[in-house]
Amino acid sequence: MAKLSSNDNPEQGVVVRDLQLAFGDTVVQKDLNFTVAPASVFVIMGVSGCGKSTLLRHMIDLARADQGEILFDGQRLTSDDPRARAALQRRIGVLFQSTALWSSMTVGENVALPLQLHTAMRPAEIRDQVAFKLSLVGLAGQEQRMPSELSGGMQKRAGLARAIALDPDYLFLDEPSAGLDPITSQRLDALILRLRDALKLSVIAVTHELPSIFSIADDSIYLDNQSKTAIAHGDPHELVRNGPDRVQAFLKREPIEADADA
Amino acid sequence: MSQAESRSLYEVSREESRTILRLQGDWGQAARPPASRDVAARLGDTGAVVIDGQGLSTGHPRVAAFVHGLGLRLDDADRAVEHRALPSDVAALMALSSAAPPRGAPARPPGLLARLGLRLNRRLVTARDTANLVGHALATTPALVSGRAQTRWRDFIELVRETGAASLPVVTVVNLLIGAVLGFIGAVQLQTFGAGMYLADLVGIASAREMAAIMTAFIMAGRIGATFAAHLATMESNEEIDALRMIGVSPFEFLALPRLAALTLMMPLLFLYGATLAIIGGMVVANIVLGTPPAAFAERLQDAMGLTEFVIGFVKSIAFGVLIALTSCYIGLNAGRNAAEVGRAATRTVVVCIIGIISIDAVAALCTNALGI
Repeated sequence: MAKLSSNDNPEQGVVVRDLQLAFGDTVVQKDLNFTVAPASVFVIMGVSGCGKSTLLRHMIDLARADQGEILFDGQRLTSDDPRARAALQRRIGVLFQSTALWSSMTVGENVALPLQLHTAMRPAEIRDQVAFKLSLVGLAGQEQRMPSELSGGMQKRAGLARAIALDPDYLFLDEPSAGLDPITSQRLDALILRLRDALKLSVIAVTHELPSIFSIADDSIYLDNQSKTAIAHGDPHELVRNGPDRVQAFLKREPIEADADA
Repeated sequence: MSQAESRSLYEVSREESRTILRLQGDWGQAARPPASRDVAARLGDTGAVVIDGQGLSTGHPRVAAFVHGLGLRLDDADRAVEHRALPSDVAALMALSSAAPPRGAPARPPGLLARLGLRLNRRLVTARDTANLVGHALATTPALVSGRAQTRWRDFIELVRETGAASLPVVTVVNLLIGAVLGFIGAVQLQTFGAGMYLADLVGIASAREMAAIMTAFIMAGRIGATFAAHLATMESNEEIDALRMIGVSPFEFLALPRLAALTLMMPLLFLYGATLAIIGGMVVANIVLGTPPAAFAERLQDAMGLTEFVIGFVKSIAFGVLIALTSCYIGLNAGRNAAEVGRAATRTVVVCIIGIISIDAVAALCTNALGI
C-alpha cells in the first residue's frame, strides 16, 4: 500500500525525538525516535510492563518527560501558550483502555461534551454531529442509553465516537481490543481502518493483541523491556520475518529463551 | 448574523417535483454551517430531495454529519433522498455511516401509573432487603462472638481503630463545645431567678441522656457511615464483592459484620467519653460565668444525677451504632455500579442515619417518660 515515508516531509505527522521515559530515577524507555506518517496506523507493541501505555501517556501530555520532544506537525503539545496548546489538543482524540466514558452522562452527552466545550456549534448542529458520530461507530440511535447499559464492545465504540467527536487528526488508542471477543475485536479493527481512510486519521495504537497488530498496523515500534529501548521499527508483516529474534518470537507467540532468567 | 453566514453555505431550489439543495463554499472548521433541523424546515413538505455537493470547496467531515442528519429527518418524513456530486471524502464517510445498523425505536417513558407502581415496588424491595439484613446480622452474631465468622481479625482491629481512636479528636471538640454552650445558655437563664447552682443538673442530665449520645452519633454518621458506604459501593463497582462471593465468602460476614461489631463496640465508649467531656465543658463555663468552683459543681452533680442517665445514653448509643453500621453497609452493598452512585451512597447514608438517630431518640424519650425513669 502507498504509505507516505517520513522523509517526504519531516514536519508532517507525529515526530518523537530522543524521548526518555522515567519514573523518578527508574528509566522505563530511552532513546525513542520515530515518526508517525499522516493517515496511517502506527502500533506501539511490546510485552506487558515495557512502557507502552507510558509512552502513549507521554505522547498525549498526560505525563511529561525530562528528555526529548514530541512534535505534532512541527508543534509541541507542551507549549507554554495555552491557546496553542488547546488548539493542538482539539486535534487529538483518545480512546482510553477502560473507555473512561463519563458514567453519569448518556452516550449522547458523552459525545456532545467536547463539542459543547470546544466549538461554537449550536445545539441543533451538535445533535447532527452526535447522531453522525454514533452512526459511524455503529451505535446509531443510542444517544439516550447510559454507558452502564452498553456491552463492553459497545462501550469501546461509544468511547471511539467520543474520541472522534472533534474530527481529530490524531487518534490515540490504548489497548483498543482489550477485553473484547475475537469477532468484536476484529470489527473494531475494521472500523479503525475505515475511519483512518475516511477521516484521514493518524492512528497511534498501543496493543499486544497479535491479530490486531497484523490487521491494522501500517508501521510499528517494538519496545524492549530488557534493553529499555525500541529494538525494532517497521511494518510488523516485515518484522515477523526479518526482525530481531525477540521481536520475531513476540510476533510468532514463541517463548523467548533469554526470558528464562527474568 | 450566524444565520446569514449559514445561509450562504447552501441554496434551495425546485426542479419539477423535486427539491434541490445545493451545498456550497467552505464548510471547514472556521465556518458556521447550518444544522439539519434549520435546513429541513426550508425544504417543503413533499417530494424527493436532491443533495448536491458540486459547489463545496472542501470535503470536511461536518458536511457528512449534516447530510446524515438531514437524511434521518427526511427519512422520518418518508421522503426520498438522492446524493449528487458529494466530495469523495464525504461519500466515503457516508458509506461508513450507512453501513451501521438501523436505529431502534426510541424507548417510551413509562406512564404515571407505571411510575407509581415501580416506585412502590422499589420501596417494598428496600423494606424486604432491610429485614433480610437485620435478620442476617442477628443470625451471624453468635458466629462472630464465637470467632467462627468469615471475618479477618486484622480488618476488625483496623476498623476499631478507625471508628474509635481516630474519631477521638472530633468527638472531643464537639462534645466539649456542646457542654460549654449548654452551660452558657443554662447559666444565663438560671441566674435570672437565682437558681445558678442547678446548672450542674441541667448540663449533666442533658449531656448524659441526650446531647452526648446524639452529637456523637451524628459525628459517626458523617465520619464513619459515609466512609463505609463509599468504600463498599466502590468495591461493588470494581467487582470486588463478586470476587468475594466467588471464593465462597459471604460479603455480609466479611465486610458488614466487622463494621457492625466495631461500631457497636466503639459507639458506647465514645458516648461515655463524649458525655464526660460535655460535663467538663459545662463545669468550665460554670466556673467562668457563675464563679462556681469545680468541686462544688461535682458535688451538685453527684446529688442531681444517678447512673440511670448514663445507662439511658449508653443504651441509645449502642442502638445508634447498630443503625449507622447497618444503614451504611446496606446502602453501600446495594449501590449502583458507577462513580456517581458512590457519592450518592455516602450522602444517602448520612441522611438516613440522621433521620434514624432522631427517630430512635424520640421513641426512647417516649418510652423512658412512660416508664418514669
